[in-house]
Amino acid sequence: MAAVTTTGQKRSIGQIIKRLLLLDLIEGLFLTFKYNVRALYEPRDGGNPNQAIYTEQYPLERPRVSERFRGAPRLNLDPENGSTLCIACDLCALACPVDCIEVGSIRREVRDGEKVNKKKVLTTFIFDTSRCMFCNLCSEACPTDCLELTQSFELAVYHRSGFRWDREMLEKGINYVRYTK
Amino acid sequence: MPEILALLIAPDWVRSLTGERPPNVFWAEYIVWPLIQIVIVLFVVLTVVAYLVYFERKISAFIQARLGPMRVGPWGILQPAADGLKLLLKEDIIPIKADKLVFSIAPIISVVSTLVVLAVIPWGAAWATIANVNIGLLFVLAVSSVSVLGLVLAGWSSNSKYSLLGALRSSAQMVSYEVGMGLSIIGALIFARTLSLSGIVEAQRADGLPYFLFQPLGFLIYLISALGETNRAPFDLPEAESELVAGYHTEYSGFRWALFFMAEYTAMLVTSAVAVTVFLGGWYFPGLDWIKSNWGPNIYVLLSVAAFAGKIAVLIYAYMWFRWTWPRYRYDQLMELGWKWLIPAGLANVVLTGVWYVLALPEAQGGVFGFVKQTAGRYVPTGYGKIYFILTGFIITIPLSWALLATINRRSRDFNLHDQRQLQIKLRSERIKRNEPVAE
Repeated sequence: MAAVTTTGQKRSIGQIIKRLLLLDLIEGLFLTFKYNVRALYEPRDGGNPNQAIYTEQYPLERPRVSERFRGAPRLNLDPENGSTLCIACDLCALACPVDCIEVGSIRREVRDGEKVNKKKVLTTFIFDTSRCMFCNLCSEACPTDCLELTQSFELAVYHRSGFRWDREMLEKGINYVRYTK
Repeated sequence: MPEILALLIAPDWVRSLTGERPPNVFWAEYIVWPLIQIVIVLFVVLTVVAYLVYFERKISAFIQARLGPMRVGPWGILQPAADGLKLLLKEDIIPIKADKLVFSIAPIISVVSTLVVLAVIPWGAAWATIANVNIGLLFVLAVSSVSVLGLVLAGWSSNSKYSLLGALRSSAQMVSYEVGMGLSIIGALIFARTLSLSGIVEAQRADGLPYFLFQPLGFLIYLISALGETNRAPFDLPEAESELVAGYHTEYSGFRWALFFMAEYTAMLVTSAVAVTVFLGGWYFPGLDWIKSNWGPNIYVLLSVAAFAGKIAVLIYAYMWFRWTWPRYRYDQLMELGWKWLIPAGLANVVLTGVWYVLALPEAQGGVFGFVKQTAGRYVPTGYGKIYFILTGFIITIPLSWALLATINRRSRDFNLHDQRQLQIKLRSERIKRNEPVAE
């Protein structure tokens, strides 16, 4: 336990000098002055704790999101032909602990050269972001790297129905209000 | 007549405006030019006061690793205008049980008593002074202490416990620190031998050194008392929000509240201006005479005003710096500092300065060293005299009064609750040992 120095006990010479010259107060003044001066000249990119000004002016300056951050879901498209990568296997819906994914599919005859295959094709994909807890189990279950949780985090909407993302929203992403000055 | 002419300050164009020629310049000297000056000073000071709020917010933000106001104009530079507009448009609330007349008069008293003082402050050389009153300093102290009345009336008429307690605290505090402030100035007056603020500046110009070098203790006491007088941190007990919500202006809102705010910041400006005038050489800085003879009288006056403003800015920055660095004093510590340290130290400073000054007089006047020579009707310290006054001020006056007060205040230095409790516990245990009845 730290000793409490009271008036009754004797102070050392160092303590007396420190009290007489108000060194603690002056030390504090130097510290705040240093912060003040640093704030004036240091470059600032917002939200950097190592800089003199930590403030991040949010709508103007985008936050630094971690690489492994899990945010808004997205259905990836095949970069070659633009068709969806989803094979409607329903594994994501099975993996989801809160049942927020609904995969709708039909069996359809797909012509592949000479052969005609019966194949499961994705029709609807509903992702309820209000129930999602962003655990990433769906993304890990996906065999074709189609469903993915991106780094986008602005999920607020004006109405509860806006939380139910359909296939189009999941493929294109939602339109955010972009704030400028 | 030449003495009167020497006091006349209005520029030539004002005289040609009124069509008067010296020595009959009543309208130019006493009506037209003062009115122009008053309009300019009020406009500049009120704008500066609005921007002081902005700078306070910025400085506090920078000290706390924040940005402060940023949204109104570039770097929030128009924030004062937005604030003013908001305060003007706010609903004017008077509590039902408040004394309506007193409630509305109180902020006006506060503001007026601080604004009136601006008339006698020497803003610059020659035509920049509004009124060179020969009791200027007394006038400043007297009028600025009326602002306590505004705070007391505000606290009383609000009919709220927070306001009343804040007003009580502030009146006790301001009255206490007023005394120390008055005493700290007397030392400088011994050197200046005048109460006129312009006269004090001229005296420092003639002596060659600003008086904070001759009067380090006085300057220190003045700065601390000024903090207490303007209710600034670390003495901002009247508006300690953790204890009293907002102190005396808890019930105020809108423009009346803005008046109190204006009074606070104007008081800050005024106390810094007096500190600059009395201790830091006012509008004078070395080399100003050369500028006058080489660059002409108008540039000379403008530069003197700029020097005055710069010195005030340094002091006001220090005020803000202190506020955002140091924690608030406890109430008993505040009173202790005021009554047990500042006032006795001010008295000691007056006595010691008087002793040093009398010793420095020539032998014909009853002195010893003859470090002060009478030239052109006033006493001016010689080269050795300056060194003598600086050394006595720094090396003897400060340590001596400090040691003296430390010895006197030794017994009662700490109002130490821990010690008191320990003592009670000890006494109680002794009583239990002796099998005496003890209170549960």
